[in-house]
Amino acid sequence: MLQVNGLCKRLPDGRAILSDLNFRVEKGEFVALLGASGAGKSMTMRAIVGLTSVGSGSVVFTGETGKTYTTTTASGKELRRARRNIGVIFQGCNLVRRLPVLDNVMIGRLGRIHPLRSWLYGFTDREATEAMEALDRVGMADFASRVTGSLSGGEMQRVAIARAIFQRPLCYLADEPIASLDPKNAESIMQLLQPLARENPILGAFHQPEMVMRYCTRVIALRKGKIIYDGSPRLDAAELAEIYGSELNRPALTMAAPAAVER
Amino acid sequence: MNLGDFSLGRYRRRVIPAAVFVAIVIGAALLCEVSFSDFVKGIVKGLSLLTFFFPPDWAAFPEMIRPALVTIVICLIATPIGAAFSIVFGLAGARNIAPDWLRLVSRSIIAAERGLPEIVTLLVLVAAFGLGPLAGVMALAIGSIGMLGKLLADAIEEIDPRILDATAAVGATHWQVIRHAVLPEVLPSLVANSIFRFEVNIRASVLLGAVGAGGIGYELNAAINQLEYSRATVAALLSLLLVFLSERLSDRLRSRIIGAGRLG
Repeated sequence: MLQVNGLCKRLPDGRAILSDLNFRVEKGEFVALLGASGAGKSMTMRAIVGLTSVGSGSVVFTGETGKTYTTTTASGKELRRARRNIGVIFQGCNLVRRLPVLDNVMIGRLGRIHPLRSWLYGFTDREATEAMEALDRVGMADFASRVTGSLSGGEMQRVAIARAIFQRPLCYLADEPIASLDPKNAESIMQLLQPLARENPILGAFHQPEMVMRYCTRVIALRKGKIIYDGSPRLDAAELAEIYGSELNRPALTMAAPAAVER
Repeated sequence: MNLGDFSLGRYRRRVIPAAVFVAIVIGAALLCEVSFSDFVKGIVKGLSLLTFFFPPDWAAFPEMIRPALVTIVICLIATPIGAAFSIVFGLAGARNIAPDWLRLVSRSIIAAERGLPEIVTLLVLVAAFGLGPLAGVMALAIGSIGMLGKLLADAIEEIDPRILDATAAVGATHWQVIRHAVLPEVLPSLVANSIFRFEVNIRASVLLGAVGAGGIGYELNAAINQLEYSRATVAALLSLLLVFLSERLSDRLRSRIIGAGRLG
């Protein structure tokens, strides 16, 4: 489905932010990327959808007909074809604030409709109905006509998920989907993502190991751009200390309840 | 440091610059032959002239309604045309969606336009199109492009880049990102700015009218030239009314638009 081969990226000053990442994401998986801030989680996601250039290595994505796309080198139409099959759930603040909620959800389908039609006509009634269904699935159908900028963080995050569902992708990327949410909201977002992952795999970046243990099927841990762990989401205290740096003794990471939400 | 040093420091920082400033003003006044006695004489003369303006010649009022409407119509046509063209310059002038060379071209054009007073534009246009409202409409439309285009380009550059990335990430083309993310984010502010520009245009059109763009400004100028001062008073009061009303309307509409974007 999604194959990351020897991905490397350096900053202009020479510092390596991704070094030799290798992993595959297969159907049915809910993979969590763990790591301290700056470990390279977001950068990995951006590289997968071709939003940033990489030094070497590649990301190969297999489309619906078995056609493969190398998103790290593709451009133009080829890149857009790959992107429309990868549903990215950004943090909710990436929605168009002045548009109604429903319009934001429908943006998810832009890659599948003719640019001229989207410019001149917009979306069809059928697409609007489907977008409503996606909103219903995340429990936001009542908010369809609200201006997106007036929603709370948790509500926006649900809309962002509805947009990704409506996109009908083959896999999802979720960049810190619960980072800025309170524990209760975070829990309900994870409950939404878990069944989605059974249909189409999810690769998500998280900061809450305790949530990841309960909902994800696998953990890939990054430290300073390198994969230091790839396996079961059941991490013990020693493994967590290794991921987040042993010099940092943060009680929030070992507590059962997700008390502190790290940003 | 004792108090004496402190007050000396204050003295140097405040009094000396003030003294230099006063000296420059006096020197400039002497150079330009500004004379106080002329000023007093002028005031006396002006006050006696003022009596010619009152009472207003209300009989001229019905004749003034049509020119006043012409002024409004000129602005109603010119502002939307200017706003429409400003979208082109705004999109082309925004760093986050246009290539560098295009941004430079667009930004240079609108900066040059803003440096050009409307009255200069109008004089050139009058030479080409003759006296009348057409030249006035064109001058005000061009004048609106500079301001609205700059404000729009700045508004586009302030859009959170993550919003544009997130829209591109669904597989949208560059133009789809513009249509579905950029324009919805900035159009409300363009409308609000255009309403403000309409108000500015009403003010400007009174002046442009005097130079030959037609409307209430033309009537005002003509009345003064024909020494019909009490008639000019009616024109002046009417243009004051236009400016006042457009300002009230603009304030009210803009606060509604901006409020709608915030609260939904």
